[in-house]
Amino acid sequence: MEEKKLGISEDWLSLWLGSFIFILSLFVFAGGDILGWGISTKEWKDVSKAMSPVSKSYVGVKGEITKIDGKKLTLKKADGKEEEITVTEDITTVKVGDTYEKKGVSGFMSLVMTYLFMLLVMTVGAAAMRANIGRFVIGFTIVFWISYGCWLVGHYAYIAATNAAKSGVPWSLKLTGEAGFIVALLAGLAVGNFFPKFAESLKEAIRPELYIKTAIVLMGGLLGVKAAESLGLATAVMFRGLCAIVEAYLIYWALVYFIARKYFKFSREWAAPLASGISICGVSAAIATGGAIRARPIVPIMVSSLVVIFAVIELIVLPFMAQTALWKEPLVAGAWMGLAVKTDGAAVASGAVTDALVRAKAMAMEGINYKDGWITMTATTVKLFIDIFIGVWAFILAYIWCAKIECKPGQKVGAGEIWNRFPKFVLGYAITFFLLLVICLPASKAVQPVEKEIGILKDEITMAEKQLPSATDPAALAALNEKIAASKEKVKGLSDQIKMPKKTIADAKTATSASNSFRVMFFVLTFFTIGVVSNFKKLWEEGIGKLAAVYVLCLFGFIIWIGLVISWIFFHGVKPPIVTG
Amino acid sequence: MAEEPKLAEELKKMEYEPLLPVEKKLISYSLILGTVLLGFLVWISYTFFPAGH
Repeated sequence: MEEKKLGISEDWLSLWLGSFIFILSLFVFAGGDILGWGISTKEWKDVSKAMSPVSKSYVGVKGEITKIDGKKLTLKKADGKEEEITVTEDITTVKVGDTYEKKGVSGFMSLVMTYLFMLLVMTVGAAAMRANIGRFVIGFTIVFWISYGCWLVGHYAYIAATNAAKSGVPWSLKLTGEAGFIVALLAGLAVGNFFPKFAESLKEAIRPELYIKTAIVLMGGLLGVKAAESLGLATAVMFRGLCAIVEAYLIYWALVYFIARKYFKFSREWAAPLASGISICGVSAAIATGGAIRARPIVPIMVSSLVVIFAVIELIVLPFMAQTALWKEPLVAGAWMGLAVKTDGAAVASGAVTDALVRAKAMAMEGINYKDGWITMTATTVKLFIDIFIGVWAFILAYIWCAKIECKPGQKVGAGEIWNRFPKFVLGYAITFFLLLVICLPASKAVQPVEKEIGILKDEITMAEKQLPSATDPAALAALNEKIAASKEKVKGLSDQIKMPKKTIADAKTATSASNSFRVMFFVLTFFTIGVVSNFKKLWEEGIGKLAAVYVLCLFGFIIWIGLVISWIFFHGVKPPIVTG
Repeated sequence: MAEEPKLAEELKKMEYEPLLPVEKKLISYSLILGTVLLGFLVWISYTFFPAGH
């Protein structure tokens, strides 16, 4: 008899893994950018220039010194561009005109270090889950390198460039670098459907839910910084997201349950998990509902297999529909992904693709440069609220089933079920989000009004300087010069006043960009592994037709469209901040 | 070793269960609550969490 392996769940593990990487990234506040070597991938024509460490402090730079200001050097690089660097060593011997070189980590080395770090962290996680370590290490290695290869391909200028001329290519698909996600998904689908033996050999490392949940924990911090800069908008997104899912639960579930029972003659045991799977949150909702009404395990398992397949179809189709129809309403598009696409992985992933596609289109059509991440944040917020409410919904169903429909022997309904079903990784997301919000909010509040004042003063200086050549009266000239000097002095004083809060925000951004480098890698792994687990042959299984029919009818018949209407009602007119300067 | 249950067989085993009055109530209450709450939540959102309106 096989011994039952009892390890930590993927849900808890993602909380610990995400929190661990997040904590490492926070060392920036203590002066140590210890994750800055993480890989960052740029759009490329020459692949050797595609990769670099995410933090500037790890990037090597060489050039002619054009300016020396204390420990700051301005270098003119070979490409003619100037870059300011801060050095730590003694530079009293260098002078303007000298060539200076700062050694750094190469792009490929950064990738190798990212791989080794993730392998180490994930292997510890695999051990905690009591997975087969040998198979995991091999599987993860293959999954990592294929996924990264896809990510790199997606950044090829002919695929990614939103402005072909600027990128030096004659044409481009204009898909942005996030096309790498789609490439990874397609590669995963090819492996899962055409190379089943190979897919089986990777099984230990094919864990899309673990990867996406870890990514979501890491994303919390990033979004915390964004929220600190636009608190009103972030609060509105959260409250409206909550409203949207209350509506979705009440309308979606009831309609799907009714159609499955009335027109497809499914029994209650099948109809309830099916309604939750199609309408709410895919796999976890189907399992939670199956548990709540004491359905046999086969029911949610069968429903879940369909959920995964259709989520992939949605993931491929809906972001492009959103780009076409909703580029003027970016947050409607984000909420729509959260409400319509099932499973955490596919929903958040489609939010990320939509983020890139919609921003690129807004830029191309109207020159509006929306700040990145807000569409993903909206999709994620909506999806996380849905996740949180699964436990509540399962509890309500269990209570109704036991009290009014059929109470199975030994069935007890306790509020403890709400906690048992609560997705624990959401705690990690909430902690990382609020921690960085608390760190950055006072700093942001201190900086914003002062920067506004500095902006006004700088405008005044520019205006006064323009008047200088035409001022002939010595008294007027002196007054203008005095005004300019006073304004410059005031700007300096104000800049000094916000030095510390600005440093706090800069540190927070450095920390989150380092953790974001790993978040992106977890996203890519999610896309590839979602593809691998999506076995379309399941659709040919005998008997699946009736189940698939109700799924297709409900999902494409009204779930997607009701989701769109709800998203529109709560999010139309709500726009992400725009990049200025 | 127990054989994995086949979907087709499981669906064949499924017996017809008429929609009970309590299920009809569950469905209609859920839809009514959803519609009523929609107005209320939209009002709260636009009044207390304005963002772009």
